[in-house]
Formats: sequence, C-alpha cells, structure tokens
Amino acid sequence: MSPTPAEPVRVLVVDDHPIWRDAAARSLAEAGFVVTGTARDGAQALRVAAATSPDVVLLDLNLPDFSGAEVTRKLLVAMPGIRVLMLSASGERQDVLDAVTAGASGYLLKSAEVAELIDAVRATAAGNAVFTPGLAGLVLGEYRRLAHAGDARAAGRDRPAAPELTERETEILRLVATGLTYPQIAARLTLSPRTVQNHVQNTLSKLQLHNKAQLVRYALERGVE
Amino acid sequence: MSGQMWRAVAVYRFVTLCYAAVVIFGNDSHYAHPAGGILALAAMAGWTVFTIIAYARPRGPQPWLIVIDVAVATGLIISTRWIDTARHIAHGAPTIPLIWAAAAMLAAAVRGGPWAGMAAALPLWVGDLIERQSLPTQSTVDGLVLLLVAGGVGGYVVRLSLRAEAATDTAARKEAAIAERERIARGIHDSVLQVLALVSSRGKALGGEAAELGALAAAQEAALRSLVTGDSTEPDTETGLMDVRGLIEPLADAVITVSCPATAVMLPPPAARALSVATMAAIDNVRKHAGDGARGWVLVEDDGAAIRVSVRDDGAGFESGRLAAAAAGGRLGISHSIIGRLREAGGSAAVTSRPGQGTEVDLRVPYPG
Repeated sequence: MSPTPAEPVRVLVVDDHPIWRDAAARSLAEAGFVVTGTARDGAQALRVAAATSPDVVLLDLNLPDFSGAEVTRKLLVAMPGIRVLMLSASGERQDVLDAVTAGASGYLLKSAEVAELIDAVRATAAGNAVFTPGLAGLVLGEYRRLAHAGDARAAGRDRPAAPELTERETEILRLVATGLTYPQIAARLTLSPRTVQNHVQNTLSKLQLHNKAQLVRYALERGVE
Repeated sequence: MSGQMWRAVAVYRFVTLCYAAVVIFGNDSHYAHPAGGILALAAMAGWTVFTIIAYARPRGPQPWLIVIDVAVATGLIISTRWIDTARHIAHGAPTIPLIWAAAAMLAAAVRGGPWAGMAAALPLWVGDLIERQSLPTQSTVDGLVLLLVAGGVGGYVVRLSLRAEAATDTAARKEAAIAERERIARGIHDSVLQVLALVSSRGKALGGEAAELGALAAAQEAALRSLVTGDSTEPDTETGLMDVRGLIEPLADAVITVSCPATAVMLPPPAARALSVATMAAIDNVRKHAGDGARGWVLVEDDGAAIRVSVRDDGAGFESGRLAAAAAGGRLGISHSIIGRLREAGGSAAVTSRPGQGTEVDLRVPYPG
C-alpha cells in the first residue's frame, strides 16, 4: 500500500500564489519527495495530474477557477487512487467541509510548520486522514447537522439514512478538536495509535460515502445519466 | 419606469382616439360641418401618431412639446363650436375630442409632476368654456376641480414611483458596491494570509531571530483569520437568537485555536453571552496559569441536547484534589459570577485537570425551551 522508502512519494503542488507554491515545492523536494509538477489553477492541476500521475495532490482551497471541492471531485473521477491534501490560508469553514466531503483525505492550515506539512503529506500518501482541530470541529458539526436534517424529514422514506458517529468516534473527534495528537489520544483511551487513526479515517469515509450517495440520488432525480 | 409611463399615455391616447372616432362617425349627420368632424378626427389621429413616436425617446419629450400638446387639445375642444351646431352644444353635446384631450394633461403630469399636471388642466377647462360660450357655472367649476385633481394626483403618483425607483436603484448600486468591495477584500486577505503563513512557518524552521519574526507573523495571521471568518455578532432579526460562533471565534490567536461547526450555533443572547464570557475566562486562565509555551483549544459544538464549549490546554495542570481549593483561591479564573450567569441560562461548568496533562473546562447550555 504505502510507498516504500525506495519509492519516494510523488507530489503535485497546486497553488495560485507563486511564493507559496515554490516554497512548498522546495520544502517537499528537500524532504525527499518527488515533486512531479506545480499548477496555478484547477484546470492546469487536472492536466498536470493526468500527465504525471502523482500519489498526492497538495491543493490550495482558493483557486481562481474551480472551488477546492470541484477540483477534488474531478481529480478523483479522473484518477480514483489519487489522494488530495487540502491547504488553506483563511480556513473558510464551508469550503473546507465541502472539500473533505468531496473526497479530500485531509486538511492543513498554511501556517503549519514545514515539519507538519511534510508529516501530513507522508500520512496522506499512506492513506491516513490528516485532521486539524478545526476540521474535527467541522466534521462533528456536519454529523450533527445531518442528524437534524434527518429528523426533520423522517417522514420521507426513500432518503438515505444520515450517517452517524459511534460513541467512540465522537469521543476521538472531540479529542482531536481539542488539540490532542493521535498518540496522545491512544494513550488516554488505551488504544493503539493505528486504531485511533482508523476511527478518524472512518468518520471521514462515512461522510464522503453519504455525499456520493446524495450526488447520485440528485443526479437520478434530475434525470442525468 | 418613465418609459413605461409614456407607453401608458400612448395607450390612453390611442384608446380614447378610437372612442372619439366612434362618436364622431355616429354623430356626423347632425354636425353643422360633417367634413369638419372628419378633419378634426384626422388631426387627432395624426397628433396621436406623432406624440407616440416623439414621446418614446429615451429621455422623454421636451417641455415645449408638452405645451404644444396641450394647445392642440385645447384647439380641438374649441373647434367643436365650429363643427357642431349651437343647439347641440347648448344641450350639452360632448366636445369633438372627448376624453382624448386629457391625454395632453397626463403627458404634462408625467413630464413635470403634480403642478404641471394641474397647470395643463387649466387651458383645457378654459377651452371648454370658450366652446360652450358660457361663464363659469357650478357644473363647469366642478369639472375644473375634477381636472385639477386628476392632473395633480396623476403627477404626484408619477413623481412618487420615479422616486421609489431611484431609491431602489441607489440601494441596488450600493449593495453591488459592497459586494464588490467584500470580494476584493477577500482576495487581499487571502494574499496577506499566504504571506503571513509563509513567514511564520519559514521563520519557525529557521530559528533565532527569524523565529521571533515568525511568531509575530503567526499572531497576526491568527487574528486576521478569525476576522475573515466574521460570523455575525448580532441577534438574528427573525428568531432573536444569536450565533455563539460569532462571539467565540474572535478569541482565537496564535496560542488559542477555536474549532466550530460550519453551520450556525444558535442560542438566546443572554445564554450566548454567558457562554462566551465563561469561555473568555477559561482562556484567560490558560494564558495566566498553563505556563510558557502552553497552547489552548476551544471546541464549540452542538451535542444534540446542549450547546457545549470545551476549553483544553496542554499546560501544567494540577491535582484534582486541589480543585476546590484552587476554585476558592480564584486560581481557575472563572469567578462565581460567571458560573452564576451560566447557571441562570440553565447551563453548567465542569473543570478537570491532572498534573502534567493540562486542564479541561467543559461549559454547557441546554437548548432553549
């Protein structure tokens, strides 16, 4: 699954700010990643990704042409195995949430330290979800919103049931949201770090699956093939 | 808007022309000069076509054209004297143009407002007196009053609706300007945040003096980010509820991270304020007592039964046994009055801590009602 040290992780850096793009690409190259290319907008990102097939796309949330969610969806349709790590400077909540429900596997603020960024790219390549406390708060809120929306139209039968968090998942997300790292959470709950990681990953997968089901239902209702 | 009004005048003129035509063709056998009736009708038709075209200009007709319009209408009223027989007129026969003549008054009202409308009514009335060769009587004075009212009211309504249109127009333009300014501001904020984020992360990596610069940039970056998020701090005008996020998000900085749902977290204003004051107290506590380099995290959530705010730090912490003593000594920084306000809103506060594992403050306010 995860690339061995012999196979360095291939990364595409997408950002419309040249200073940031170049700095990120340089840091990643110094840390031993292969930067397969850089792109300044969503359209270019799709072209470069198709041509260079990176493992991870480091994607800025605010691109001039498409939203982060749109670019993520298009990338995943074109290359189902690709992993998207979102980066943003402003942390616009709805944009971040849209991007992760569209399939991005993690989110980082741009003010993260270089070491954090490198760890995050490595974790993303290994298939792990990268959560900030802010993202954990957003995901908790989204499950709550979906539960409320589900209550409101409990009468409508053919709707897919709103996804729910298990008690353990809620507990872990709350700890992530209040700044604990996975090893700290593992120590506190006497679980293995791997188990904590799996729980976090699950919270994201359920949301993404629900989102995909909704998109399909929406398309069917609208008569789209 | 004024274009629509000129179209309305045109429609009025055309419809009343048709009416006048029916009456003239019906009566021309009784006229003293039947050919005169046809001639007057032709003049009305010609003038109708001319004004419809002339008034449709984007900027509306010139005032002098309106004066001519009123003169033509007045002239046609007087022409009745020559076309119809004196006996018919004495018995109250209608004038040749009938209510077509009022179109000129309407045009004056649309062009110049209530006073112009009333001023145009006057010559029409005088023309009518000349045509009947009578002095003002009770019934003709009544007629004048009616004309004046019609001209005045017509002009007033036109003025009012034009003013309303201008107001809507200005409001729409202002709104567009604000939206554009916000769009530009978002772009600028984003660019500034990029640079601050870069300086902060690079600075920390470089160490030394650069790290100090990085820390400064990080502080500004956090402040700007919480500003950009900018949730409303005012109660909703419809429900009277307040978004707790708007009060708590601005407390974020380089030391304190705030996490919120993407959707609003609504509470009645007293409960929302009590919650945010308690949160501020807990955050102050992190800064004062958690020790150097300690960080704090605030989570705002809706757990299905209550609105919950958790404040955790990774600082020194303290033994749970000393909790009561610490609270009494004001060590927690959450005073009794703050807890009291939270309780008044039906809420509660709990504090847990272990040495070396930081402190956690859990604040809850149940849903209203």
